[in-house]
Amino acid sequence: MSLVKNISCSLVRPYFKKLPLVRFIITILLLVTNFPVVAMKQPAQEYQLKAVFLFNFTQFVDWPPSSFDTDQSPVVIGVLGDNPFGSYLDEIVSGESIKGHPVVVRYYKNVEDVQGCHILFVALTEITNRKKAIETLKGKDILTVSDAVHFAAEGGMITFFIANNKIKFQINLESARASKMVFSSKLLRLAEIYKPG
Amino acid sequence: MQFKDLPIQKKLLRIVFLINGTVLLVTCVTFFLYEYYIFRKSIVEKLSTIGKIISANSSAALAFDSPDDAKEILSAIKTEPDIVAAYLYDKDGTLFAQYNAGSEKPIFPAELEARGYRFVHSRLEGFEPVMQDNRQLGTLYLKSHLGALYNRLRLYGLIVATVLMLSFVLTYVLVRILKNGISAPILSLAKTALIVSEKQDYSIRAVKMGKDELGSLTDAFNHMLDQIQEQNQSLKEFTQTLEQKVSERTRQLESVNKELEGFSYSVSHDLRAPLRAIIGFTAILEEDYTSKLDEEAMRITTVIKNNSAKMGQLIDDLLAFSRISRQDIAKTQINMTSIVNEVKDDLATQYDISKIQWAIQPLPTITANTNLIRQVWVNLISNAVKYSSKKDDPYIEIGSFLKDKQTAFFVRDNGVGFDQKYSDKLFKVFQRLHKTEDYEGTGIGLALVEKIVARQGGDVWADAEPGKGACFYFSLPV
Repeated sequence: MSLVKNISCSLVRPYFKKLPLVRFIITILLLVTNFPVVAMKQPAQEYQLKAVFLFNFTQFVDWPPSSFDTDQSPVVIGVLGDNPFGSYLDEIVSGESIKGHPVVVRYYKNVEDVQGCHILFVALTEITNRKKAIETLKGKDILTVSDAVHFAAEGGMITFFIANNKIKFQINLESARASKMVFSSKLLRLAEIYKPG
Repeated sequence: MQFKDLPIQKKLLRIVFLINGTVLLVTCVTFFLYEYYIFRKSIVEKLSTIGKIISANSSAALAFDSPDDAKEILSAIKTEPDIVAAYLYDKDGTLFAQYNAGSEKPIFPAELEARGYRFVHSRLEGFEPVMQDNRQLGTLYLKSHLGALYNRLRLYGLIVATVLMLSFVLTYVLVRILKNGISAPILSLAKTALIVSEKQDYSIRAVKMGKDELGSLTDAFNHMLDQIQEQNQSLKEFTQTLEQKVSERTRQLESVNKELEGFSYSVSHDLRAPLRAIIGFTAILEEDYTSKLDEEAMRITTVIKNNSAKMGQLIDDLLAFSRISRQDIAKTQINMTSIVNEVKDDLATQYDISKIQWAIQPLPTITANTNLIRQVWVNLISNAVKYSSKKDDPYIEIGSFLKDKQTAFFVRDNGVGFDQKYSDKLFKVFQRLHKTEDYEGTGIGLALVEKIVARQGGDVWADAEPGKGACFYFSLPV
């Protein structure tokens, strides 16, 4: 709920401070209506939520110290391929930090460009490209996330999917455990575990 | 009944009960308060621990917008029946998931607060922030009823009441058993003392029951009885000896007295015969030999006659004096006023009383021997007349008053009086304070008065001042 409200805030931010009435109406609307349906009806809002989820992953996953150059090195959230988030992702992470590491967003066109990244949203439509990316990033302690339906089967770590009008995610434990990242049990509890075959 | 009047056994029981009750009550209240404080603290700690666990577990559910999961986490609380409600709020303060125990109606907090627990209306409620990596994702609100606390306190109350009752019963039984050590010796001692004082039997002894203070008291008491018994014995012996001595002395005195009286009577009696001869022959000389004797011889004869008469008077008085002890003193009702008037009239034949001013108060009737009492009045009034005869305005007052359950009579005159320091000599035989030449008399009168009054069980005394008169008193039993 809060996430949605956050997003609505960021959507209408310019009006918010000036027009309390608008804010009130939107809040009421969000509260009284089945907001996830509202959210799902607008594809852009789906990505606002996913952007928030991407940021939240940083709180439930521990990267090995080797993945940071210094204590102040940023936690990098990368987007590979066509950016579906618009500016939402940037807005969400701006000013945030995790355990002293500032959170930044980087956009990559090719998997070869991916360097010093911690979470990578793979926005590639071609399955071959995705497989290539997964292969390239193997063993690099990068949390790979995508909303491609078969991403887990392809060896990706986290796959978003929609169930009951809610965004859920699936974790490929095999891929996750192959890395040195530590997944919070709380995250695993929420996730659907991918079972091969 | 006041405490000080209670029997010792009850006193002991009450004291022990009071001490026991006070100590137990203070102890129990202290434990009760301590337990209350500790238990309150412990339930706060417990709720806070549960809150921390729940909030830690629900961070992912908040982060990834999964109210169902949050609800599932919250529902784990149902294993804690005291916790009646748990509400999870997101970081904007909107209700995210809730748990309500059984029939509990959801009552939401008016506003969210930072971490903290407090007791409100027999409920414990508190807020616990949901944190992930120092980032607050929401707030957990928990509410617990205090059933456990009250159950525990009730149990404690029950235990305290039971302990108090049990200890009172035990105390009562113990005191009943142990009191013999203290009260029994005291009671036995008191009983012995009572028997001793009631029966006056000092041979009884108290039984000693121990070597404590009460034992010493019993010893002291018995020792005291020993001494009393001893003293009683010696007193008895002493009294017996004394009685014996007294009766012995009395017997001796009586015989001596008898001898003396017999002697004085016979002397007086025997003296009268030669005196009668002297008086008779002197009268013959006076009457028959007037012509033959010269003037000087006549004068000597007169002197002999007068002295013989005086001697006769003396012997008469002595006889009267010694006769008093020999006479029976039959007592009758005597009208003192009439006796005094008779005596006064009789004296008028011997003395010139025309000058005297009399003041005779009404006198009471008494029971005594008439002849003896008359003698007393005669002697006292004639003394008053004699010793005031040289005054220009003689005055004699006679009266009575009550003194020490006796009736005291007095005869007061304004005659020559005497020095008070000789007053004890007055009542002895032949003691005279004035010369016979000035005031006639044999010196037996007052001694006679004293003897008569003493025989009647009364007393005599006098007071006077030289030149101003004298007052003689005698008292008689009413």
